[in-house]
Amino acid sequence: MSATATQPDLSYLLRKLHSFTGLLPVGAFLAEHFWSNSAALVSAEKYNATSQELQTIPFRLIVEWGGIFLPLLFHGGYGIYIWLRGKSNVSAYPWVGNWLYLTQRYMGIIAFAYIGWHLYTERWLTHGRSRYANVAEDMQNPWYLVFFIVGVLASSFHLGVGIWNFLCKWGLAATVKAQQAAGRFGAFVGVAFSVVGILIILSFRFDWHPFSAYLPTK
Amino acid sequence: MSETKQVIVKVKRQAGPKEVARWEEFSLRWRPSMNVIICLRDIAENPVTRDGKKTTPISYDSNCLEEICGSCAMLINGRARMACSALVDQLEQPIRIEAMSKFPLVRDLIVDRQFMFESLKRVKAWIPIDGTYNLGEGPRVSPEIQGKGYPLSNCITCGNCLEVCPQVNENNQFVGAAIISQVRLFNMHPTGAMNKSERLSALMGPGGIQECANAQNCVHACPKGIPLTESIAEVNRDAWKQALLGWLVG
Ligand code: HEM
Ligand code: SF4
Ligand code: FES
Repeated sequence: MSATATQPDLSYLLRKLHSFTGLLPVGAFLAEHFWSNSAALVSAEKYNATSQELQTIPFRLIVEWGGIFLPLLFHGGYGIYIWLRGKSNVSAYPWVGNWLYLTQRYMGIIAFAYIGWHLYTERWLTHGRSRYANVAEDMQNPWYLVFFIVGVLASSFHLGVGIWNFLCKWGLAATVKAQQAAGRFGAFVGVAFSVVGILIILSFRFDWHPFSAYLPTK
Repeated sequence: MSETKQVIVKVKRQAGPKEVARWEEFSLRWRPSMNVIICLRDIAENPVTRDGKKTTPISYDSNCLEEICGSCAMLINGRARMACSALVDQLEQPIRIEAMSKFPLVRDLIVDRQFMFESLKRVKAWIPIDGTYNLGEGPRVSPEIQGKGYPLSNCITCGNCLEVCPQVNENNQFVGAAIISQVRLFNMHPTGAMNKSERLSALMGPGGIQECANAQNCVHACPKGIPLTESIAEVNRDAWKQALLGWLVG
């Protein structure tokens, strides 16, 4: 560290970028992804129409790579680098924030492994043309099912804690009260994402469409 | 030892940074209001281990004995705290006493906290009041700023906040919570604010504020109850505004 430096160090900028990409676009994409997949809760046709819509957006490859894959790779890769440079000490200091610090890292790596596999099976192998029937079939495999559930929970948890971190670390929630409120907000997001994610999985697994009543009766 | 209550203490001894460490156990006579420094003094008075072997007095730092000088921080039952305020009656026995792990060891329980003083110098943790001519009176400090600054000025540079931080370790030159909080203190003072951007720049160098990962251990470990997480958040906000918006809005 040098007092005469006027430009921030590269490690400062990369760290800020890591923090920012966690929320935007990676966190925002997670929200969009859960939202789009909720179409399955209405009907298989609605799901197929929604995914068709997404699969045919203009500039698809640029959007996918620039807006999702590369930021996620950066966030995950740099996240692992950050992880390796920290030294967790929960056994000596078992405080809540310290536990969140540790679990944030494990949930991140689980999410990363899950997302990698998910992209491979549901995006790569299908050439980006996944349909309701493919996903529903995958869900019949109990191992796939478990991995889906674990991946959804890990991603939701990581995002919830991440939002809390983000609000504290950018000074948007500075006072103790504001940080507690930010924590409650993060917890709410984590729980809400978990519930919605699990509902979507159940929808595919049991061909269950709780919102089918929204459809016009034929 | 018929009626007298005993206090069992285990101390990690190490003659120098390169010597091998070993544990020594002592049995001391209990007295009311005994604290860990008193244990170390009793050992110095009669340096004999529990199994009757003669040894040397233990090297340790202490001065004020009232949590105001910051010199007696050590690990007591595995946790960083001030030895002078660690009451024996509130500790599980045998009481394990060892040096802090994040600073270079000097001998036994003494560590070298020079890193913190160097960091304070790097961030200019002072208010410049001297010139080559009379600078006149400084601006008045509002009671609001005084009220916010006073708790921050209580820092005793004990190093507990660095010791408990998972981000402070040998991979990482992270300056730690105390230094960031001092930057907040001197930046909020109207005269100190004249060097605000310099302090923020220093904190955005290697080992700067970006290394904080919000585990928030520091605020639990601080013996002076300093609102460290609030300080870090506020300085973080000033820092990114300067770094990321400075070129845009000045
Ligand atoms: C589902 C995908 C992911 C989402 C939505 C996500 C989101 C976030 C968010 C919002 C943050 C808070 C940023 C901050 O600390 O200021 C964060 C932090 C973090 N993420 Fe992720 N992340 C994801 C995947 C990953 C992966 C795969 C890893 C790799 C292990 C990872 C590692 C980390 C780490 C270590 C932090 C803490 C950063 C710090 O302490 O400064 N994340 N993430
Ligand atoms: S901020 Fe608290 S824990 Fe850290 S050095 Fe100062 S007094 Fe010690
Ligand atoms: S002896 Fe001064 S703080 Fe403990």
